[in-house]
Amino acid sequence: MKEIVFEHRMAAHCETGTVTALLNHGGLEITEPMVFGIASGIFFGYFESSNFSFPTFIVRNKPGSIRKNISKRLGVKFYEQKFHDPLKGERILNELISKEIPTAAQVDFYYMDYMPEYQRVHINVHFINVIGKNENTYLVSDSYYPKKTELKIGTLNKARFAGGFMAPKGFLFYPLSLPSEINFEKAIIRGIRKASYNMLKLPVPFVGIKGMRKFARNVKDWPKISRDIDHLSHEIMRINILLEDQGTGGAGFRYLYATFLQQAALKLNEESLKNMSKRMMLIGDSWRNISYFAAKAGKNRDLGPERLGELSDMINARADEEHQFFSDLARLVK
Amino acid sequence: MEAKSIEELKKEIKLLILDTLNIKNIQPDTMDESIPLFSKENILNLDSIDGIELIMAIQKNYHVRIGDQNLARNVLESINTIADFVVTESRKKL
Repeated sequence: MKEIVFEHRMAAHCETGTVTALLNHGGLEITEPMVFGIASGIFFGYFESSNFSFPTFIVRNKPGSIRKNISKRLGVKFYEQKFHDPLKGERILNELISKEIPTAAQVDFYYMDYMPEYQRVHINVHFINVIGKNENTYLVSDSYYPKKTELKIGTLNKARFAGGFMAPKGFLFYPLSLPSEINFEKAIIRGIRKASYNMLKLPVPFVGIKGMRKFARNVKDWPKISRDIDHLSHEIMRINILLEDQGTGGAGFRYLYATFLQQAALKLNEESLKNMSKRMMLIGDSWRNISYFAAKAGKNRDLGPERLGELSDMINARADEEHQFFSDLARLVK
Repeated sequence: MEAKSIEELKKEIKLLILDTLNIKNIQPDTMDESIPLFSKENILNLDSIDGIELIMAIQKNYHVRIGDQNLARNVLESINTIADFVVTESRKKL
């Protein structure tokens, strides 16, 4: 049996949690909110495309961006590899474990059979750290699970090589080298600038504040593209799931970003960031209200034009609030 | 939070659950404090929407923040875990 000495911690979100745990293991003291903020994790995008059976939205930057932005802004070099051949993918992972290198793996969440069954859904962008191997099982540290656990070798292989949208293709990564010195001030400011740019200025009509407004406009037309009231109800209730569940960090990641701003205020000795943190907490509360409103309306099949109009108004109000917020935040780090 | 015993706090939490979710046919004394709130064995028969409603009520009532879904799952495990969370968070404010 091979078990690497590795500190397991739960986290708000799998990718930030996995990256943070690997950086901590390598000796870099950094928190999950700090990783999220420096990597400009906060985001909004509303999508209507043939890739999706129904319009959907995201509240964080795209999977993989956390690692890539941390690499750019902190100077951490990562080993990263995808595999066409599952056998090779398994062999490389086993070699890394035998060298005592904890390694992050991208997996289909459905196969994480230590999680309660009702939580397990097919999502191809879940991340776990593999920290050891027995004869028949891998030892894993999953930031959604309270303790280190095991996964059968065949099960992890299935999870790593699941097919479908954003298929993991056996993707593995771990930090190859950490810089001896890090300019956190610079990294924080760059992270905030990029997040503000993404929310306010990215010239794409369905991301950032523009994406929120599009969502607010189009949600009123969802009845026209739904098969029936059950389908509409399901999609409206999914708003709650996307904001609160399935690794979204709660309240659309807004609380996690608020915690980042609070920690950034201390690192930069910048009192005004503390106020921004409080404002972001309140924005998180407002998203949670939307989440609750949508869940309740969907459950009660209360989905007439008036109710969807109310939902639209709530989303528009968040767009107004976040527009002001990110404008003020961008000014602070000019 | 004013000083109160853990038993008083648990009773208060039970009343908060019943009041928030508008449950009329269950008395606080019959509510088990350790059975998982969302399990089939629990007489409350709660669903995930009740969960969000409870999170919001706990946040408002005790001036605490349940900031992510993993924390929410752990806090809402049972009446005991809610009480433990409220006590821990209150101590942090002292």
